[in-house]
Amino acid sequence: MVDTTKNTKLFTSYGVTTSKAINPDMAAKMISKAKRPLLVVGSGVLKPELLDRAVKIAQKANLPIAATGHSHVGFLDKDVDAKYINVHQLGFYLTDPNWPGLDGKGNYDMVIVLEFKKYYINQVLSGTRNFSNLKAISIGRDYIQNATMSFGNISREDHYVALDELIDNL
Amino acid sequence: MSKLTTGSFSIEDLKDVQITINTIVGAAKEAAKAEDIGPMGPSPFPGLATYRDDWNLKLLDRYEPVITPMCDQCCYCTYGPCDLSNNKRGACGIDMAGHNGREFFLRVITGTACHAAHGRHLLDHLIETFGEDIPLDLGQSDVLTPNITITTGQSPKTLGEIKPAMEFAEEQLTQLLATVHAGQESAEIDYDSKALFSGSLDHVGMEISDIVQIAALDFPKADPEAPLIEMGIGTIDKEKPFLCVIGHNVAGVTYMMDYMEENELTDKVELGGLCCTAIDLTRYKEADRRPPYTKVVGSMSKELKIIRSGMPDVIVVDEQCVRGDIVPEAQKLNIPVIASNAKIMYGLPNRDNQDVDATIEELKSGAIPGCVILNYEKLGEISVRLAQEMHPIREAAGVREVASDEQMKEWVDKCADCGACYLACPIELDIPEAMKFAKEGNYSYLEDLHDACIGCRRCEQVCKKEIPILSVIEKASQKIIAEEKGWMRAGRGQVSDAEIRSEGLNLVMGTTPGIIAIIGCPNYSDCAKGVYYIAEEFLKRNYIVVGTGCGSMDMGMYKDENGETLYERFPGGFVSGGLVNIGSCVSNAHITGAAQKVAGIFGGRTMEGNLAEISDYILNRVGACGLAWGAFSQKASSIGTGCNIYGIPAVLGAHSSKYRRALIAKDYDESKWKVYDARNGEEMAIPPAPEFLLTTAETWQEATPMMAKACIRPSDNNLGRSIKLTHWMELHDKYIGGLPDDWWKFVRGEADIPLAKRAALMKILEEKHGWEIDWKRKKIISGPTIKFDVSAQPTNLKRLCKEA
Repeated sequence: MVDTTKNTKLFTSYGVTTSKAINPDMAAKMISKAKRPLLVVGSGVLKPELLDRAVKIAQKANLPIAATGHSHVGFLDKDVDAKYINVHQLGFYLTDPNWPGLDGKGNYDMVIVLEFKKYYINQVLSGTRNFSNLKAISIGRDYIQNATMSFGNISREDHYVALDELIDNL
Repeated sequence: MSKLTTGSFSIEDLKDVQITINTIVGAAKEAAKAEDIGPMGPSPFPGLATYRDDWNLKLLDRYEPVITPMCDQCCYCTYGPCDLSNNKRGACGIDMAGHNGREFFLRVITGTACHAAHGRHLLDHLIETFGEDIPLDLGQSDVLTPNITITTGQSPKTLGEIKPAMEFAEEQLTQLLATVHAGQESAEIDYDSKALFSGSLDHVGMEISDIVQIAALDFPKADPEAPLIEMGIGTIDKEKPFLCVIGHNVAGVTYMMDYMEENELTDKVELGGLCCTAIDLTRYKEADRRPPYTKVVGSMSKELKIIRSGMPDVIVVDEQCVRGDIVPEAQKLNIPVIASNAKIMYGLPNRDNQDVDATIEELKSGAIPGCVILNYEKLGEISVRLAQEMHPIREAAGVREVASDEQMKEWVDKCADCGACYLACPIELDIPEAMKFAKEGNYSYLEDLHDACIGCRRCEQVCKKEIPILSVIEKASQKIIAEEKGWMRAGRGQVSDAEIRSEGLNLVMGTTPGIIAIIGCPNYSDCAKGVYYIAEEFLKRNYIVVGTGCGSMDMGMYKDENGETLYERFPGGFVSGGLVNIGSCVSNAHITGAAQKVAGIFGGRTMEGNLAEISDYILNRVGACGLAWGAFSQKASSIGTGCNIYGIPAVLGAHSSKYRRALIAKDYDESKWKVYDARNGEEMAIPPAPEFLLTTAETWQEATPMMAKACIRPSDNNLGRSIKLTHWMELHDKYIGGLPDDWWKFVRGEADIPLAKRAALMKILEEKHGWEIDWKRKKIISGPTIKFDVSAQPTNLKRLCKEA
């Protein structure tokens, strides 16, 4: 008997490439493997529960932080390397191999994004996905299709648990 | 044979025959080329390629296109669909960047067409009604049509004389539209150049639209004392019949107002509107200061909200920014809908040729949900009379009230907490959480959603329990809706020549720190109040804040602790610390016009046919930044792109990343931050500002310092630079935290450094950046990469340099 259900790849509409949905342990593994990763946080990170976790992620994985939106204000008294940059500008600079980075040491090979409006970070990452080799890992509560890998859509409570698991695995 | 001219003449021997020639094809262009009409720049009546090499590519070299596609595929022709991901080329040969440049360009020309068509409609209508010879009386100014003059070289003085500029814009739009055909333009950068050209035409179309209505309909004329107008859903008197108008084109509404005034109904019927028709109906006949009686309900995001309130007894729509579901939504509440403009007819039957009484009876009976009426005389009478007749009928039917408490509880209890509404909500409101609290009897979380909710009802369409979620939010928000009462100044029209003369020097030197233009739609990513916070912050810092359209409305919707709106607190003149409501969307042309006039009147530059030089002047010397915080439409993209070609940067809200294309500079690439000194053609380094021509910000807190920084210009004198740095650095500290990393790049000498913190900042320059400081004389000895020369003439155009 011929299996006629095997290959259902579409030819008529290519739609949008979707990211690989991952669990926190896999996200931690990917972050650990990156040569020059950057944690990119949006203003949503200013919720205390998230700010604490973002700081822990940055500290444990030794990640510099691109504090976009007005999130930078949350990191002033924290022991992390956080610098302000506009995320649309950042998205553009990430596609330029000559960008010296936030620290003057060159561009990044991975961004880990957290706490944005999903449509906004998704648009920014559509630029990096189509015009660079950057890897993007989304660890927010929304599934971000233009990331390389992303958490799925999860509740706020589950998101906190997922971030804690990620921290444990770093 | 002698050349024909316009005018009337008789022919000998032909008794009773008079020949009148109104327009001669090509005559306007011919006239513009003639030498005897005064100074003329190199580009009157430009074509697709005219600005490309001389100006647009120079802009695009510094402000590079940043492409953020919406999806992987192109399905534009029958070769496709093609997968363009990772910048692949499709079957036709276009790549991802080119395709998305085309997508952005399509939006810009669509917006341009909207305003040009609006202008054409008003021009024809007003010429037909009042004649061609109505003078362009726009206030005490000599420069009446800066956008038309820069583009065509012409300076029309009457309605009739505007026709060549109108025809030119239409012709060029056809040329532009042709380029998107599959197999035509494929280079992203050329779509950007064409988009910039289209943006300049957009401001011509808008200028035409507004100046003809100001002149013929007696709108305020460059009037800083234009009256204050009541605004907000809470200002509508529920006891009166309510005629609700929605859209952008005031032509039909004037007939309703005339009918109401002739029949002494102005205190018996409420006439209020949403979107720009609302702004323009408050401007009608306001030049002679009869007391205002019409109301502004609010921005586009209030369209469904006002319908769901049940208050409108008749809805009349015209054109642009009108929702596609007005008829089915209105039908549920027995509200007849009249379509008054051929651009939106909703599939309704046309009743132009039917007797007025018969049409009123037909609509009253509910036999048809609405109709098309393009005859304005009939529209004026039918809409007002119908509102009066529908009011008691609808009152008796109980459809003028929001849902009961029992109904509300029933809806809330149905919620299964599936989360589909959260996923569907374009602004990601946490509706499930609010519903959870509502089930426990706490409606405050639902109430909190009201201000941010854009009233799109995407949530309702995915709700498996068929809960009318928008109605639930609105029911929970009845208290705050009743208190939604604000004030806005009626749109005042152009900035006058005298105002430009008195502010020009301050703007070019930087001592008035900048012009902040708050424009556009209500698709906010955070909250409507964001525009109020931003405006207040800049007004308190003596920037000139100008506004148009929905942005102007939302700035007036909020009050301070003394119960005063911004329009009550700040003067309406184009002065430092002034809040200037220019008018509706089409009045945006007067914002670019104000910057152009600084170059023309204060800077003494030739305006006629001279776009590149005027734009170059603005980019290098006029600190101005636009904010389209809730931009949703194609028109917003064309307005912004028109600002961009004139060297005015714009910050947009996060949703605007969906326009697919931004223009951002590399602040780290020093080769991009050089201009020529026009005195000798030598290169001079300039600071990296503005860093963008079109970009987005995540929150209003982020946008505020971004805009302050974007007002810095190479021409700032020491005091001006010091003032601008003070505001930017203070705002950065307030909203972002700490000193900006790159503040030192803007310092040319000690006098540039903010006075209040000069010593501390010089210490940082010494310690962190290795600058040499003479502490006795408190002077910088070495360090700055840019120099200050008060006589320098910064320009991006080599051809303007003396040695060239």
